[in-house]
Amino acid sequence: MGVRARNESAWLLPNDGTRTNHRLRQDMRRFADEDEIDLVIVGCGAGGSVMLQRLARAGWRVAALDAGPFWDPDTDWVSDEAGSHHLYWTDPRVIAGSDPVPMGSNNSGRGVGGSMIHYAGYTPRFHPSDFATHTLDGVGADWPVSYPELRPYYEQIEQELPVAGERWPWGDPHGYPYRPHPVGGNGEVFLRGADKLGIMAKVGPVAIANGRFGNRPHCIYRGFCLQGCKVNAKASPLITHVPDALAHGAEVRPDAMVTQIAVDKLTGRALGVHYVTGGRERFQRARMVAVAGYSIETPRLLLNSASSRFPEGLCNDFDQVGRYLMVQGAPQTAGRFGAEVRMYKSPPPEVSTEAFYETDPGQDYKRGFSIQTVSPLPITWAEHVAAQGHWGPALREYMSDYVHWSCLGGLCEFLPRSENRVTLAREKDSYGLPVARFSYSQCDNDRALARAAQSVMEDILHAAGADEVITIQRYAHLVGGARMAADEQHGVVDRYGRSFAVPNLYITDGSVLPTQGSANPALTIMAVAARTAHHLAAGIS
Amino acid sequence: MSGAAPDWGSRFPGFDVLDQVPHWDQVTADVVLARTCSPAAVKFFTESEESCARALLNLLTGQDGPGGEPAVPVLEMVDARLAAGETDGWRYADMPEDAQAWRDTLTLLDADAHQLSGAAFADAPPADQARLVQAVQDLGSGNWHGLPAAHVWSLWTRYACTAFYAHPSAWAEIGFPGPAYPRGYKNVGVGKLEPFEVGDAHPSEDPVREGA
Repeated sequence: MGVRARNESAWLLPNDGTRTNHRLRQDMRRFADEDEIDLVIVGCGAGGSVMLQRLARAGWRVAALDAGPFWDPDTDWVSDEAGSHHLYWTDPRVIAGSDPVPMGSNNSGRGVGGSMIHYAGYTPRFHPSDFATHTLDGVGADWPVSYPELRPYYEQIEQELPVAGERWPWGDPHGYPYRPHPVGGNGEVFLRGADKLGIMAKVGPVAIANGRFGNRPHCIYRGFCLQGCKVNAKASPLITHVPDALAHGAEVRPDAMVTQIAVDKLTGRALGVHYVTGGRERFQRARMVAVAGYSIETPRLLLNSASSRFPEGLCNDFDQVGRYLMVQGAPQTAGRFGAEVRMYKSPPPEVSTEAFYETDPGQDYKRGFSIQTVSPLPITWAEHVAAQGHWGPALREYMSDYVHWSCLGGLCEFLPRSENRVTLAREKDSYGLPVARFSYSQCDNDRALARAAQSVMEDILHAAGADEVITIQRYAHLVGGARMAADEQHGVVDRYGRSFAVPNLYITDGSVLPTQGSANPALTIMAVAARTAHHLAAGIS
Repeated sequence: MSGAAPDWGSRFPGFDVLDQVPHWDQVTADVVLARTCSPAAVKFFTESEESCARALLNLLTGQDGPGGEPAVPVLEMVDARLAAGETDGWRYADMPEDAQAWRDTLTLLDADAHQLSGAAFADAPPADQARLVQAVQDLGSGNWHGLPAAHVWSLWTRYACTAFYAHPSAWAEIGFPGPAYPRGYKNVGVGKLEPFEVGDAHPSEDPVREGA
């Protein structure tokens, strides 16, 4: 079946230079709180939107509640770094542990489309080995799902976004529906340096069509991918899944903060969700609940949904909720060139290598890392420069050199650890709910990976002709926190995302991932949600 | 910290980001141009906090030299963020929420200044101000009046840099053309310029090498 026949989103967008189909939103079906709908989804990002679209197509009465706005790229987004602050989840959160992980712009989205509104756009698949790291390498965990089970969903989603890139030689080798984009200065530097060292690097995989796709226009290479794509060229659920969902009778309820999942004391089944919208507390009844609030808010919602049946938090009988939360180590190394690179021209995601992804028996660490172009805009670049210790005139002088720098980022597979987790802090948010406290500490393997990635990036940049290199230690992405497992003593949900504790409660976001590989997680989150949706749709029909 | 005119302002002669405003989308133009208007009155900081914060933020962004008003009103930009509660969406467990952390650290900085110079931070001699600020950075993972110095440093520099490099005059200084919608870029690649971009007049002045 052609992609348009199963997901018409790109053809439901306007083709007159504006970016939002307002008519589709005005005519959207709206359920009453008292309706017992088939499924209420909490969060309308990567996982929630795919569920919404798939199950609306299957004829389910389904609504997705999102805490943030229903974005209009024309009026809500700007081609500017500081002016994009509202794209991030900036409600209070506490970070702790020996290596605390900053949140906000780094990894936390807000509003319909979720973190894919501000992600760079890289959409690599996980490798087959990612699903069995415990068996293969004695670290991490084995998934209760194998790569071949997920492959058809990877292929579907790659067509729906769609993804552009060279034929991919790593992991399970595969092609992409769109040819690779031309590269800018930063991609050129990466390819040149890698070539000199004999390291294979490839253009892609990027969820930006190379050409028109439906009514979505061609990318204009303006470099503001992380500020929300005003062009509708970069894929996000707002334009890849929500329009088709609405056209098939789904409801998106923006500005609706879910505060608690209600569970029947007698039957142990979920009844619906309490939420706040327009300052009023409401309750949406549903036959089934899917939580897709991502790795911080999903565990927080479960913990805030404690009851007499679940005194330690919903689905937390075995103290698994919030644990095994992962972030990738993301050292960012920049090199200085005599020529002008002007890395802000072109999308930040251009070129990657997965040549170091798998465990190398010659190294004293397990698993690996990938390397990708990242092209920080001035504020983010200032963070990189300030991390070298510069301030005042020295900072200004270094910053004036911006056009000469090229910047690469590593994604290191930091291992899942039970003590890296979300708990509830004493502090309350504006809804009166305890905020999330995220504690994170690295292990020796993590530190070794970050060092190795930095060293390879330095080599590539030097080989490309850089005279100096500077590095900042960062983190990227979030997954885990309510992982899938073989049984309830090792995880929160089963292989289809159904919670062990509540039979009609599903989790369909990045929290269910047991490992993270060295791949950006968006595509895998969508593929896992598509698999859950397929399973549910098949069950009812 | 010398009194000589800094040379970083002259690398892109004639380059003015605002020349391109007609090519920006209106929503972006409104947001960016608002930063170039006279700054709003201070709302968050008290009077003594304001003078301390102004001196600190101008120092951190190299705007402390003689010559009147700073090009970028960093104090007012930070104040507006704090008044609106626009945090980064997290705080370290060993720090108060950002608004309180700013108040606390400014009070502590003033106390340090009184001890070193017998004056509030804003009234201390420039060399003393620089010493006091450098001392906090030099503590690294150590403790500053009961707060982790690195987290204090992170708070100050994050807010300072985010404000400073949001301003068109800072973009002009680094050769960055700012907003790019709906125009985009046509000449991408090493050494390639758009008609509206200006090449670096001093490409060999590598600050890293000079500092090495």
